[in-house]
Order: sequence, then structure tokens, then C-alpha cells
Amino acid sequence: MSEGLRPTRRQIIVGRLIDAGLILFCLAMLLPLVLLVSNAFKTPPDILRWPPAILPRDPTLDNMRAVLADTPLLRWMWNSVLFALLSTAAILTTSAVTGYVLAKFRSRVLNVVFAIILATAIVPFEVYMIPLFFNVQKLGLLNSTAGLLVGYLVMSFGIFLIRQNVIASIPDELLEAARVDGAGEWWIFWRIVVPLLRGPLGALGVLAFFQAWTAFAWPLIVTTTKESYTVEVGLALFQTGFTVDLGRLSAAATVVLVPTIIVFSLLRRNFVQGVATSGLKD
Amino acid sequence: MGNNDTSRLGAGPLGRRTVLALAATAFGMALGSAAAQAQTLTVWSGYPEMVPFYQRVGESLKGKYPGLQVKVEAIPLREHEKRLALALPSNSAADVIELANSTAQRYIEAGLIKTAPADAAAFVNNAAYFDPFIQKTAAVGGKVYGVPLFRGQGALFYNTDKFAKAGLAEPPKTLADYTEYAKKLTERNAQGVATVSGWSMRLSGGGAGIAEKFWINLFQNGGNLIEEQADGKWATTYASEAGRKTLRQYIDNVHVHKVVTPEMPADADAFQREQTAMFIRESWVIGDIAQKAPNLKFSTALLPRGTIVAPVFFYSPNEGDKARLAWDFAIAANSPENAVWLLDNVGWLPNRKDVDYSAVVAKKPAFKAFVNYPKDYAFFTLPAIAPVEEVLTRLAARLTKAFGDASLAGNDAGIDAVLKEAAAETDTILRRAGLLASK
Amino acid sequence: MTARGRWSFILAALLPTLAIYAWVRLYPIGDVLYLSLHEWNIIAKVRPFVGLENFVELSTDPLFLEALRNTAIIAFGVLLVTIPLAMVLAALIHARTASRLSGFYETAIFLPHVVSLVPAAMAWKWIFDARLGPLNAILSVFGVQPKAWLFDPVLSILCIVVLCAWQALGFAVLIFLVGIKNLPVSLYEAAKLDGAGPVQSFFYVTVPLLKPITLYVSVVTLVAGFNVYGQAFVLASDAQGAPGNLVRVLVLDMLENAFRNYRVGYAAAEAVVLLVVVLVLTAIQFGALRERGRA
Repeated sequence: MSEGLRPTRRQIIVGRLIDAGLILFCLAMLLPLVLLVSNAFKTPPDILRWPPAILPRDPTLDNMRAVLADTPLLRWMWNSVLFALLSTAAILTTSAVTGYVLAKFRSRVLNVVFAIILATAIVPFEVYMIPLFFNVQKLGLLNSTAGLLVGYLVMSFGIFLIRQNVIASIPDELLEAARVDGAGEWWIFWRIVVPLLRGPLGALGVLAFFQAWTAFAWPLIVTTTKESYTVEVGLALFQTGFTVDLGRLSAAATVVLVPTIIVFSLLRRNFVQGVATSGLKD
Repeated sequence: MGNNDTSRLGAGPLGRRTVLALAATAFGMALGSAAAQAQTLTVWSGYPEMVPFYQRVGESLKGKYPGLQVKVEAIPLREHEKRLALALPSNSAADVIELANSTAQRYIEAGLIKTAPADAAAFVNNAAYFDPFIQKTAAVGGKVYGVPLFRGQGALFYNTDKFAKAGLAEPPKTLADYTEYAKKLTERNAQGVATVSGWSMRLSGGGAGIAEKFWINLFQNGGNLIEEQADGKWATTYASEAGRKTLRQYIDNVHVHKVVTPEMPADADAFQREQTAMFIRESWVIGDIAQKAPNLKFSTALLPRGTIVAPVFFYSPNEGDKARLAWDFAIAANSPENAVWLLDNVGWLPNRKDVDYSAVVAKKPAFKAFVNYPKDYAFFTLPAIAPVEEVLTRLAARLTKAFGDASLAGNDAGIDAVLKEAAAETDTILRRAGLLASK
Repeated sequence: MTARGRWSFILAALLPTLAIYAWVRLYPIGDVLYLSLHEWNIIAKVRPFVGLENFVELSTDPLFLEALRNTAIIAFGVLLVTIPLAMVLAALIHARTASRLSGFYETAIFLPHVVSLVPAAMAWKWIFDARLGPLNAILSVFGVQPKAWLFDPVLSILCIVVLCAWQALGFAVLIFLVGIKNLPVSLYEAAKLDGAGPVQSFFYVTVPLLKPITLYVSVVTLVAGFNVYGQAFVLASDAQGAPGNLVRVLVLDMLENAFRNYRVGYAAAEAVVLLVVVLVLTAIQFGALRERGRA
């Protein structure tokens, strides 16, 4: 607000205070994750110690080793990654094409289509999950990545996001100029529209990826064999049934968490910028 | 239109896979069983502690199936039962599934679980091997569907150190004794709050278990939750004198004597950590204690009148050649050596009666209360009717609420009202399934 | 390019998406409505029509009513915690945009939203643990008696609210942050000229102007709250024999009715109730925010 002016002494102090408050709050937000990772390296007596400590007394890799030996954790992670990547690809494709068409072509039919897409966005997935399950069952796709994907092929918010972006950032004149030059519609879409949508598509990609990565209720019913579990389902069943051994549970959780955190930290800028340019205010 | 196109697209690769699988199977059969080197048998289990047993049974079959691989997928029982509901109708369940006969009933009625072949049926019906009770529960409509695996049978587990400290030499004899004992056994802190429960009763946790445990106590008082009538239908019988007595004991123990509370550590876990003095549970706890708390001083005792027996069977969703290995596996699990190993190492009770378990019982006397019992010791089992789960789960939810309701203490009218309302709900479920006996 | 060419492009571009929508959204939604009026046990070939019977039974089913109540408490609890907190945090982070730490703030607050649900819930399960958990350890420093967080029917719902809010916060903050960045600077300068301090301009400029964003975030948060399942599954589920208070939520009750009690029609009726609740809440929120905007 007062950029350009030299901040007063008071402003500096207030800024420092806000920083202090935010740092404390952020640390509190991160604390559960830190504790979890720390527990993964604690020995059994260390975990039972009262009061609980933040850091392990003598760090051990036993929990990690035991978990990797006892469960197909890496397989579950691979299932999740594959599912999330394919889901992201499907959502990006359908959102880009549909969002663009709905933004740049005017017709009453298309308005109805857009209304339907928006309306289904309000219906929670859980509402129609059971019929969708029977649908997948009939196709014989249970326990497969394809079966998992069925629930995650499209994202109404994604179509909305792309449509708003196209309206906000791609002028009609640009497209008309290309048409005058004799460019085909598909050429325009691939060569002009998609490159201009790189930002929002990146953001949507991150959203879609993590949406599939953290999916729970759907994979819980679509997968029934150990090999086909996603990491969320595998861990949830592991924790309710096999062991109350906190060290091992934490180790398993850590194996899953750390890559997530790294990937997100790398993609954060992309994500924030994408959302920031998404023109959500409409 | 678009709809169908997409579905066909989706089914395409799978169709190809099925064809490949069929071709591979045909090829395998053409080569004959001699080449059936790397056969895989998938077992779905709801009891993670059974995994080593299955591996062992697999080993014992190596003579007949040299390359046999046994893949056991064990998950918590509730989730196991749910995955069967999801997988059996779509024919994507494992080769061998492990299930209580009461739960299997529904799938048998629907034809999703197949009959056992003649040799397996003859094995089960051999009077030298199994009790008539087991044989009866293995069959539906006169046809054998299941091969016995083990049975869950309840008894009292008590901590002998804690009993000695409280000056108690003998296990309790009547249900009234249980409460008196519990009062003496409860350990309290300076504020009088219980830190070690005198008697860990199942008070919380979702699911049918609470109602099942309630039934065990009710049975000591001469009652049952539901009873089969002459016409083969069922009557709800717990809104009764026995029911009131049973629920009152729970409520008195929680709210009047305060020997146990819903949030205290409970069950086998608490018993192993000496956080409860006694509790009623199945024999697997013996195996569990041996693993997790080998130094615990404990003993077991018969219940006053009798106990629950919940037989678990092997079933198969397949028939013919496809199920051959599955049934060989189920029969091998009942070999004398495997039966003894099961009792000794896992702790679930095998059903073979012509096998000598005395060595295991001599080594682990806690098994006595499970295998040696007087002639008049009574048994009951969960009814093999399709909605049994729903009956138990819904009753359990009401019981949980009642256990936590302090206003029911000394309030017989309130207790009766709880039971009456719950019984009406049970009636509704039975009526919907066409199983309610006319009064 | 001819009009026909354009239409063939539109068709080719839209048809796959529309087909997918028909297959994985419209058809199942229609099927839920259909099933809710029928009785079906998964296995049987027949699905008798029962009219509104399922709904009539739901209206007196104690487990369903408990699930509905718990879910509503959780959803509104999360909403009440998340929205104000997120708005304040977004304003504070915005005020420190220039700070080198702003990236850290965004990451730290957003991370819980993307980490896998189950591991995160496991962390919280330990924090709430009655015997070993840090929460009771911290409270005992202040002389508070240890509480059985996950066993008490009221406290266990509170725990789920905390977990869900922890997860939902990052998304809300991010969206608010975007909103605040897009607000016209001139309005703040005008407010400043009128003598408003930063706190006043937050309440009199930021909050009212963020109304559309607030609407969007509230709808998303509330709908997510009504679909709570995984959190309850991990935090307050019942391992056999271990004590625990099962917090019954709608999705859990629905799945139990469908796949444990084999009553798909009945579960579908529950899903329809969930749908109606979500639609009504969305409509009310739109209405409320529009009203307040006019006043």
C-alpha cells in the first residue's frame, strides 16, 4: 500500500511482530508432520517415554527396515503415482479443450453444457460413488488403475478455471488473426491457446495430482487386493489391523510423506502463480 | 451412445487380458499337472495372526504341488468382510476365503460361494474327525460348503498376580461373583479414579463385537439375543428379565462401582500391559500373550454357564478344477500336525477331535478352559442368517450409548426402555428379511 | 473458416468430455436417484420399487441421524474455524509479501492440504493419544487433567474438526491471498486518507470486498466437510478390541449400509439426502452473501 515510501520505524516493528506470529503459527502447522517423521526414528522405549520428546533420543532405522520388509509400501506408492499421473493427464486434456471451447464459442447449447458441468461440480463425489462402483465392477475394472481412473477423469473446477483464464487472457483478435491466416481450429488450439495457458494448466496439474494422490474413499472400495492398494488405502488398513506399533506406522507414513513434501515444495511456485492468475474473482 | 463407446473402450484392454489369461490356462492344462510348477494360491484372511499358519500349510502341500506359492492377504476383519461384499459378486475374490459361517450364509444363498467337492465333503462329514455341530454349520441345505478352519470360543482370562494381591484364590463362579471380584481388583489413584480396570468389558468401538460380548454375558443369565423358533424363523428375546439383568450389570460396573470405563485401555492389549485384571475373550489371546507379554502371569477359567462358539471355515468362490488346489489346501490345514501347530503357535482352536492336543495343553495350561469342559457346559453360536451383522451392529450402537448413560444406573425402567426399543429395531430388521417369527 | 468447420471442431472437442461426463457423472447421479427408490441387496437380480420407503425409514434411523448430526457439526465446525482464520492469515501474509519468509509461510500453511491424508491423520492420532500424546503432556504442564480425546464422544468430534481444519486451512488461505492481491490498491489509499488504520481497512475494505471469494471458499469447505470420511476412518475407527469411539459420519454410514448391510437402495437414499443438504447449503450461502452485500 505504501510501497515506494521508506517504511517508518513503527511499520518495521509491526512487520517484525507479524513475522514472529506467522512463524510461530507455521511451525505449529508443521509440528504434527515433524513429530511423525521423528517418531519414525524412535526406538520402542523412546516412543513410550513420558513426556514425549520431539526428537528421537538415539535414532534407529529399524522401523523403516521393518516396514519396507512387511508391506509392499513401494508398490502402493507406485500405484498411487501412476494413478495420480494418469488422472492429471486426463483432467488437463479434458479441461483445456472443454474450457477453451466454452470460453470462445458462443451458443445456447454450450451455455447449457457449461451449466451442467458447473452443476455436477456441486454434487459431491461420495453421492454417486456407489453406482459408479457398480459401473466399474460391471466392466471388470476392479483392482486396476483403469478402475481407479474412472472416478478421476474429469474435474469441473478445472474446466471452470481454464474457461475463466481463456476469457481473461486470450483476446478474440488473436484467434481471428490466426483464422484469417488460414489456421485450422486444432492448430490454433495447440499452437496458440495451450502455450498461453501454461500457467493455469500447471496449477491445475498440481491440484489434480494431489487430488488423486490423496483420494481415499474411492480407492478403498475399488481396490480389494494387496497389490492394487493405493498408498492411502494400504496405510489405513495397515494401521487399523496389523499393528499398534507407532514406530512402524510412523516409518511407513514418513516414507510416503517425504516425497510428497519435496514434490510440493518444488512445484509450489508454479501452483501459487497458477492460482493467482486464474481470475478466481469472477 | 457416447456412453457405450467409452465403456467399450475401457473394456478393450481387459478383454484382451482375459483372452491371454484363458490362453495361458489352456496352455498350462495342455502341459499337464506335472508342469504346474509355479502355482499360486491366494488366501483372503481377516486374521493377520493366521499368516504364518497359512505359509506352513502351503509348505506341507509342497509334495503334491512342488512350486506352490501361497499368497495371504490379511486385513482387519471388518474390512475383510467388506471386501468380500465388493469382490464376490464381481467374481474377483481370492481362491480361498476365510469366513464365519454366519457371514457366509448370504453368499451361499446367492450362489457366490460354491459347494465343496465330494472328497472335501466326505472329509468334513467323517464322524471321526468333526463334531456334529461343526458338520451342521459347514453345510447349508444338506450340502457342504465349508471346510473347518478354527473356532472362536470364549473363556475368562485373569491376571493371577492381581488376583493374589486382592486375596482371590479362585476364579469367579457366577456373574455376580464377577462384579464382586471386579470391585476388589480395580486399582485406583489418589483421586479414586480407576487406573486398572477390575473387569474389562467391551464398552466401545464400533461394530458387532460389543453385541457379541453382550450376548456372552446374557447367555450366562440364561438368555439369548435372538432364538430360532419351530418354524425356522427367529424371535428377538433380549427384552427380558435376563436382558435387564445383563445390561444392569454393565451399567452398575461403569457408573456405580466404577470398575471400568469406556475410555480405559481394554481387551487383550490392556490385559497384556496389566491394565485390566480380567476379561472374556477367545483362545487366540494365549498365542498373542506368548508373543507380546511372555512374562505375564495369567490363567483361564470356564464361564459360569457356557460360551460362544464361532466356527470359521474355508470357502471357495470357484468350483471344479479351478478350486482343486483350494480344497486340497483347506483339507491340508486340518492335518493332525497342522492342527497341533495352529493351537500351539497361533492359539485359535482347531476343530479336529481325533488329534491329541495334550502336549500343547500340558505346555500351555491356559488352553484347559477351552478344551476341557464339563458335559453340561452350554454353547451358542451366531445365527446363520443373512442380516446377522446388521442386527448386531445396530444393537451394538444402542448398547454403547446405554453404557455411557449414567441416568440408567439404578433405573430398571430406563434399562427396560432401552432394551425394548432395541428389540423393536431388531424385529424390524428380521421382518424385512422375512425371518421374523410370528408371535 | 466456415461455420460448419467451426461446429465440427466444437463437436470433436467436446464430445469426449461430454461422453465422460455422461458416463462418470450424470449416469451415476441418475442411478443414485433411481436406486434410492428401490431395494437392492447387491447380489439379487431383482430390485423391487419401494417408493419413498427408504427415506421414511431414514427419518427415524438413529444411526443415520447420529451420522447426519456428527457430519453437520464437523462441517460447520471446520467452516467456522477455517474461514476467519484463513482470512486473517491471508491478510497478514499479504502484508509481509515483501518479506523473504513469504514463500515459507505459503508452503507451511499449504502443506497439510497436500500431504496424504492417512499419514497426517496418524500423526494427529498420536498427538491426541490419551496416554502417550503430546497434547495431554502440554496440558499437564498447565495443570489440566489428561483427557481421553479420542474416546469421549464430544472430544473425538472436536479432534476430527481440528484435523479437518488443519487440512482445509491452506487452500482457503491461498485463495484469499489471491483475492487480496487482486483488490484495487486505490480503495486502501482512500481508506487511509479517511484515517483508517490497517485493522480498520481489513474490516471495512478487505472483508467486504472478499465476499465472492468467501462465498467460493465457504462452499468448497462446507461441501468437503460433509464428505468427511478418511479422517474419521483413521482417527476414530475401531480396531478390533481396542477401545475407541467410532465417530459415525455420513459417508461411513452410507458405505456400511451398502457393503456391510447389503442395502444399496437404502445407502443411495442416504446419498440423496447428502446431495440435498449440500444443494440447500450452497443455495443458502449464495443467498446470504448476496443479501449482506446489498445491505
